[in-house]
Amino acid sequence: MSEPSSIRYHDLRHVTGQSTLIDIDNGAVESAGTSFFNRAILRVLGSHGWGILQIDNFSPCSKKKFNSLLASASRLAAVTRQDVDLSEATYHALGVPPMQEDPRDVSIEEKTSLLSEIEQAARHPDIVNRRANYIERSEHILFSDSSGHEFSYEICRSGFNVLAVASRNGTVQMGYERVHSVSGFDLRHQQEYGEKAAKVAIALLDAGNAKGGRMRAVLDPELAGVFAHEAVGHASEGDLVQEGSSILAGRIGERIGNDRLSIVDDPSIPEFGFEPFDAEGVAVKRTEIIRNGVVNAFLHSRETLAAVGHGIAGHARAMAAEPPLVRMSNTYIENGDSTLEEMMELCKNGILLKGSRGGQVDPGRGIFQFNAEYGFLIEEGECTRMVRDVSLSGEILSTLHGILLCGNDRSMHPGYCGKGGQSVPVSDGAPHILLENAMVGGSGVD
Amino acid sequence: MRWWVAVAWIDQLLREGARRVDEVEVFFAKGIAVSADLKRKNINIATRSDECGLGIRTIDKGRIGSSSTHNPKKWKECLNAAIASGKLATPQRWDGLPEPVARDHEEICHDPLLTVDPETATGLLGQMLEGASQHPVQVTSGSATLSVGTDIIVNSCSVRYTSRHTGVSISLESIKDQSTGTEFAQSCFMDIDPFAVGERAAFLASHSSGGQEIPSGDYDVLLSPLAYTELLGAAFIPALNGRNVHVGRSLLAKKSGESIMDSRLSMYDDPFRQKGLGSTFWDAEGMPTKRIDFVRDGVLLSFAYDLRTAYRYGKESTASAIRGGGSAGTAIGHHNFIIDGPRTGVADERVIYVNGVVGAHTANPMSGDFSVELSNAFWMEDGEFQAPIRSAMLAGNVFAMHKDIGGISDEMRQIGSMILPSIRLQGQRVIGK
Repeated sequence: MSEPSSIRYHDLRHVTGQSTLIDIDNGAVESAGTSFFNRAILRVLGSHGWGILQIDNFSPCSKKKFNSLLASASRLAAVTRQDVDLSEATYHALGVPPMQEDPRDVSIEEKTSLLSEIEQAARHPDIVNRRANYIERSEHILFSDSSGHEFSYEICRSGFNVLAVASRNGTVQMGYERVHSVSGFDLRHQQEYGEKAAKVAIALLDAGNAKGGRMRAVLDPELAGVFAHEAVGHASEGDLVQEGSSILAGRIGERIGNDRLSIVDDPSIPEFGFEPFDAEGVAVKRTEIIRNGVVNAFLHSRETLAAVGHGIAGHARAMAAEPPLVRMSNTYIENGDSTLEEMMELCKNGILLKGSRGGQVDPGRGIFQFNAEYGFLIEEGECTRMVRDVSLSGEILSTLHGILLCGNDRSMHPGYCGKGGQSVPVSDGAPHILLENAMVGGSGVD
Repeated sequence: MRWWVAVAWIDQLLREGARRVDEVEVFFAKGIAVSADLKRKNINIATRSDECGLGIRTIDKGRIGSSSTHNPKKWKECLNAAIASGKLATPQRWDGLPEPVARDHEEICHDPLLTVDPETATGLLGQMLEGASQHPVQVTSGSATLSVGTDIIVNSCSVRYTSRHTGVSISLESIKDQSTGTEFAQSCFMDIDPFAVGERAAFLASHSSGGQEIPSGDYDVLLSPLAYTELLGAAFIPALNGRNVHVGRSLLAKKSGESIMDSRLSMYDDPFRQKGLGSTFWDAEGMPTKRIDFVRDGVLLSFAYDLRTAYRYGKESTASAIRGGGSAGTAIGHHNFIIDGPRTGVADERVIYVNGVVGAHTANPMSGDFSVELSNAFWMEDGEFQAPIRSAMLAGNVFAMHKDIGGISDEMRQIGSMILPSIRLQGQRVIGK
């Protein structure tokens, strides 16, 4: 069987590997084992749109068999009517960041023992539950396309989470810490995270509820990073812009924040969202989404760049055997020149929000929401009472103007981002920021 | 080739496993799904997925091991990994995997008339677009997926269950100005109404346009089944999980037998519900399923247990083990979680109707506290949608909000494994402008 003539382009992304998970719950090793995966995706661009085959347990096959797969995908593509074009792109594979210690060289027995030390560090009379998880995923990715590009890489992401639950007189609160990276094994000498989770959970037992309303807010680097991700990152994704689901569509060149504000997505830096090349084989590079307060570029795949423009391809990402979607990788607010002390002083009365329990955005409506792990009231420029269960919401176009100051202490924080049923590793970061007129949600009343 | 001939390797696996450990359990899932996706009003992607997953669990002297793979030909590697993982696990009390129970092997989640092909998916999208055309909106995206699959559970105690299942799911997203509207439907049977789904998505976007601000205050709020599902799933359901109860992660742990909510409310899991998306005769460990009354007339009666948790804490399994596919592990869940009680007119008096919320997953799963942004919120009176509300946050507690409710609606809606009415909540904190 020969390759069907209606095919304009095709690519194959084959992901194999193994994952190791360890779960320790209140001192008991619930599980500590390894599983295996093998999934592939074959995409064919027909006369109009895509025909896609997702295949579990794929193995490289003969030319004849491969052509029959192309024919199957081509028949699927025949039902599409949207005219899809692909932009030109640059192809280049970055090297995977070196690991100081390869997690695959450490026995699972030792990993379990080290994780147990972190879990045990959360012990305290007020702590009723301690849980620690280790997650290690080692992937081999092989990409090839009909233009003759062929790349492969192997990457190992690993890290841990630790949860501590405190309880007293019917009140239950939690502290949660996580460390994940692409830079190698990071489970040694990390008991401080167990201790911190316990300390936060216990402190939250005595915290009050925040009173909701509009106020000045100082966001710590972790939460300000989630703010960048939710409030700007998603709305800059080219597929949402293309389909009319982003409030940033048509706003290239428009000022939406003050001139201190620059927001960047960069898959090429060695943080948790690193990719040597994207899910279409395209070279990855830094994109300045907001430059000095002005909408500068969108994030793109080859398809969305051809349809929308303004930016570069190289931002397509995918889980194993899932179709590439335009996604963020390492997203951050650039450093400014303010100190935390200056922010607290300017804030005067408001709230300091710390840590993240995640967030969500409706990019078409331009509304976002995210939740802090905890906060402190700021009164006369000083941190006072601790508050819990405090969230922040806002409208993308008006909230960014409210960033009064950006600090000079940016740090990155790992996490996972969900879109279209796919979850990919990302990192978010920022310095401390001071936000005016922030919409703070909390159930407290005067 | 007959199915059991095609999986003869499972017998080999069981024999090999039984030689090395006390007990072995095998879960094998195989299926096909076809989907078509819209970019605005045209299909831009058509996809076929061939899914295959094998999960193995071994138990040896109370040590539970597990592994999974996409490649059943590598079952020996997978079995070795499962046994190795068991060696690291903390031993616990274990009284054995289940033995087979005679059941009518009638397939309750399988529609022989459901065809898995791109043309059917295309037809569903066309009908959704027609529904959406009833309102002046722009369709942004949509999807239709059809699936068929077979799951088997086999263990070394002679359980050998096979079930076939089918599924159809559709969704449409639309926008008018800066107002978005999304609707979806799922079923095991070809009984969904794509026109109605398209029409509702467009109605939500169209009718939400031009919303007004509201001042902060305490208001009566009517949560749609969708908004209710999101909040319950984030913070209430985890508190009914037996493992969370016994390890200190559930606020309900010591409240068994107590009144925990309005006496008009009951919560139960009905695994035999006709056309329930989670309906099944056995759970993911091969235990025969049964109805579980979590809350009856406001009183907390039961928690959900799988075998592992039940054996450890001297309880009985409620057959609540679930799996997300062959390569996913088992967890405690539910099959068809239902909220029931006497029905009242929940929208006769003025109320804020909330179709969805943004950020439910950020709720505090321990305390139940949440503060979320409203999505497609309207004033409602005499059962009629009135003026839309532009934006506001709802802050509350998922346990406390059930204490004194305003009522639940006649209509029920199935969303994933939950079947819920709308619920009217009294005096909820809304943070407006």
